[in-house]
Amino acid sequence: MITANKSAAGERVPIREGLLTGPLSRLDRVRLAGCSCTTCGETSLGSKNICPNCGGDAVREVSLSNHGVLWSFTVVRHRPPGNYKGPDPFVPFGLGLVELSDGLRVLSPIRCDIDKLKIGLELQFKPYVRKDDDGREVVAFSFEPASQ
Amino acid sequence: MSDVVILGTGMHPFGRFEKSYEELGAEAAAAALRDAGVEWSQIQAAYLSRMYLPATSGARILRRLGSTDISIVDIEAACASGGAALRQGVLAIRSGEVDLALVLGCEKMPRGFMDPSMIYSQWQIELGMSLNPAYWSMRARRHMHDYGTTELQIAKVAHKNHKNSVHNPYSMYQKEFSLDEILNSPLVCDPIRRLEICAPDDGAAAVVVASAKRARQLGANAKAINIAACCHTIARYSADFRCPADSMSATAANPGPTEVTAKQAYDRAGLGPRDIDCFEVQDTDAFCEIEICESLGLCVPGEGGRLIDEGRTEIGGATPVNMSGGLISKGEPVGASHLGQLVEIVSQLRGQAGPRQVADAKVGLAHVLGAGGNCAVTILQR
Repeated sequence: MITANKSAAGERVPIREGLLTGPLSRLDRVRLAGCSCTTCGETSLGSKNICPNCGGDAVREVSLSNHGVLWSFTVVRHRPPGNYKGPDPFVPFGLGLVELSDGLRVLSPIRCDIDKLKIGLELQFKPYVRKDDDGREVVAFSFEPASQ
Repeated sequence: MSDVVILGTGMHPFGRFEKSYEELGAEAAAAALRDAGVEWSQIQAAYLSRMYLPATSGARILRRLGSTDISIVDIEAACASGGAALRQGVLAIRSGEVDLALVLGCEKMPRGFMDPSMIYSQWQIELGMSLNPAYWSMRARRHMHDYGTTELQIAKVAHKNHKNSVHNPYSMYQKEFSLDEILNSPLVCDPIRRLEICAPDDGAAAVVVASAKRARQLGANAKAINIAACCHTIARYSADFRCPADSMSATAANPGPTEVTAKQAYDRAGLGPRDIDCFEVQDTDAFCEIEICESLGLCVPGEGGRLIDEGRTEIGGATPVNMSGGLISKGEPVGASHLGQLVEIVSQLRGQAGPRQVADAKVGLAHVLGAGGNCAVTILQR
């Protein structure tokens, strides 16, 4: 698990602790982190100590697949409220549930022409670096059409 | 007769008002007491359903009716807050500790989208996941893909509800929109449009509840409405994709929160969907009503679009839904929404709904569903 304990200007941190796995300095090796339960078999998003399905603690951290299929989507037509870090001025974007072979669907921005969005679209995981106001590099994520 | 009854209801219209939440709530509470024919000083416990109001709002509102030393508790369960609060009132009466209680729902909300930090984590907000309609839209899109539900069917639901609201003085809009106007209103989150979603607003609604015995002592038998069931649950693991979920299981097959809560309520009431004469359900967006009709058992999964095509959910149809105009036309003052539904159902069961009246309505069901999979179902019977 990646931790953000000693974050300071110039350092790279995940957008949320426990959400990503792999070396943040090598974006091509970064994956979404998952929690796999050996008791009930469920895999869920993010590193955790307790399975959110059965409550058991026989869990292990796994790297989730970096390929998926668009299960459903929408186009966000208004700037989301709060501290949204997307483009300013706002540009409508795709938001979708990406089904992974690990047995879960992950909510993610979908980086592509909004007219290309379609259920069944093959996607690949796309981590990227965003510069924060305090100079830190934050690793965030999206999905984009496969082999683009 | 069931063990707990509604003696009276009161409501402040839903909309946007230059009034404090204390004024809105006190007006609804006073109206409910008048309708029930009881004095504030007779009430032994009170519950406030609210989500966006400050601490001890219940006490601050009800102080306006006169000083008291009873227990007044604020309750929150997202869009199902009203059901959770009524359930507490019912349980208190059933326990025997009190026999006359007030359940009030009240909210005063800012315009526009709700404050995301109430529900979402910071990283979700940063990535643009904090728009509630996005979640409804993804459910709609998938339903369209799986069952062939159309944008026209979704628009028809909005058309019906706006049309019903024309006769509801408690509704915010009270305005009929043509299908063209609805289908040409701007997309908020594809495929859901501006005239197909509800807006947060202000409002209050209240019910006075009593034990059946106390109702008899008060000589209020004739107008008492039985609470046949009042259930509140939260969604089981991955059973509901709704804000603020960041993912869902593709393998777990738990029944959804509406199915679970409705089954509980049907079982408790000893009734099924075919025994219900009228429904008020969560129409945060027009698609949501289609899906909930399926979950409540009005049709099999996937057939929800046909209900509106065949006019079955119209006031004159076999299973009327959202006679009040629903949240699409009333707006959703979150804490007050379920109590507002109950005001409508009681008025239907008393035969006082005027142009919105469902002929000979004897049993009505109210349903709410929101963040975190909070769901409440109340069944009333005359």
